[in-house]
Amino acid sequence: MSAGDPTREGETLRRAFTALVVVLLYLPIVSVVLASLANTRYMIFPHRVWTIDAYREAIGQYTTADLHATSLKIALLVAILAVALAVPGALAFARFRWRGRRLYQRALLLPIFFPQPVLGLALLVALSAAGIVPDWRTAVFAHLVWVVPIATLVISIRLYGFDPAQEEAAYDLGATRLQAFREVTLPAIAPGIVSGALFAFLLSWSNLPLSMYTTGADTTLPEWLYSRMATNYSPQVPAIAVLSVGASALAVAAFLLARGLWRRAASSPATRATS
Amino acid sequence: MASQDHSNDRSQDRSRAGPIAMAPVAALLVVGFLVPLVLVAWLSLMPERTFGLDAGLTGANYVTAVRDGYVVPLGWSLAFAAATTAICLLVSWPMAKVLARRGSAFALTVTILVALPIFVSESVRLFGTSLFLMPRGGILAGSVNALFGIQIGSILYTKTATLVGLVYVYLPFALFPMILGLAQVPRDQVDAARDLGASGWQVLREVELPNAMPGLLIGGLLVFVLAFGANTEANVLGGQSVAVITKSIDQRFSYAQDWPLGSALTILVAAITAAVVFPVLARIDLDRLLRR
Repeated sequence: MSAGDPTREGETLRRAFTALVVVLLYLPIVSVVLASLANTRYMIFPHRVWTIDAYREAIGQYTTADLHATSLKIALLVAILAVALAVPGALAFARFRWRGRRLYQRALLLPIFFPQPVLGLALLVALSAAGIVPDWRTAVFAHLVWVVPIATLVISIRLYGFDPAQEEAAYDLGATRLQAFREVTLPAIAPGIVSGALFAFLLSWSNLPLSMYTTGADTTLPEWLYSRMATNYSPQVPAIAVLSVGASALAVAAFLLARGLWRRAASSPATRATS
Repeated sequence: MASQDHSNDRSQDRSRAGPIAMAPVAALLVVGFLVPLVLVAWLSLMPERTFGLDAGLTGANYVTAVRDGYVVPLGWSLAFAAATTAICLLVSWPMAKVLARRGSAFALTVTILVALPIFVSESVRLFGTSLFLMPRGGILAGSVNALFGIQIGSILYTKTATLVGLVYVYLPFALFPMILGLAQVPRDQVDAARDLGASGWQVLREVELPNAMPGLLIGGLLVFVLAFGANTEANVLGGQSVAVITKSIDQRFSYAQDWPLGSALTILVAAITAAVVFPVLARIDLDRLLRR
């Protein structure tokens, strides 16, 4: 590219625009943090007194722990079950050649391309028809309907980048189907599986529209925040919101740590190879 | 010869492996997606305000849906969805061009920054938006007042605020498929077109758009469908200024206890969604889009 190239000028403009949009995307999240640092029942910004009292109160409360526990057990179960279903699901999506694959690929996308509140209501109708009283376990099921297709796509993207010839080579060396999968394919797609689990966990943790109709008497964090936004506002509400975001940030940090450890283990020589 | 037979065995083996591997996912989709929708469709044909599934079929709920003016919230939802899609695509395009470039530290950082809020609950983000937009003591109005001594108005509880919320929440869903799509545009084709004297507009129309189209379609479709069925944005930011269709459906199910009418409206939403989704999904080659 020569100097004074119009495309370079365009690139600078585009970068500035991109940076501006990113700033705008974070304004609401920053606003929640700012609102949590007050001690007044009604928000009058800028606060006369800046304090972290709301966090102290929120952390001491039973509600906070209870909400986090409910959201956590749902999200953990969703992550584990989603991966268990999505790994074979992704093999069928991206790896195996079989009749009906095209149809399956498209059917899998339908829950993603579907309004979640409507899916939640439909599940509520189905639960009531089956005589099942909704609680946190039915929410796990509802989340799975939406999360498993996403986890399957995430793992599929990794599978597309994996050369099947490697597996063929293992067969030629006398490996059984299971051995080839365990020793060759699984390590290759492991990063995709970990990302899939993280996606599943975070999407379940932050989900509102499905939980709203399928948790019954149990309450997740997003549901509680949604109900307290309009009525009963206090600085504790934004404080708990910040805590919930902090908790999911912890999950991301754990993920990055696990990935780092995995990479180190994978790059260290002489772990498998033989046998 | 022997190895030939061996590999034939294996490919046959694999054609059986597909159906076996997909079975658990397929079972989930049938029980968790197909059956509930069929049940809702059936319930929508029951007489009004019944809860059983055996009260005799009728189309009355669909007549009621039209006669009682549910076309209005349906229209608002469609209008919001269309506007949200258009704005998201326009905003995403220049961003995607920056972010589709590989090996750029700026692109990587921004991509991560844009992706992270997806995992912050909608309730937190919309709550933040309303705190930001609140009149007088809100973050924006309060700051402006403290800094410049000016009292500014607020768009909170208007249709505009609803649209802002929708664009805010669904922008990443347009952006990320668009990045995938733009990554398909061969760099040398763009350069070749420029060398041959093509204008920026011609490059966009003849090279970039056709190549990026699958990503654009997927992103646009995703935003349209999700915005069409969204109700939280309208509830939190729109207040009483607008009723969207999912809010009406929710009210039929909760306050009004009229599940058959709620089901009929649900089926209308599902039918419109399917009419938009099916033609696009049929056209897209997923293998090509997802393969790096």
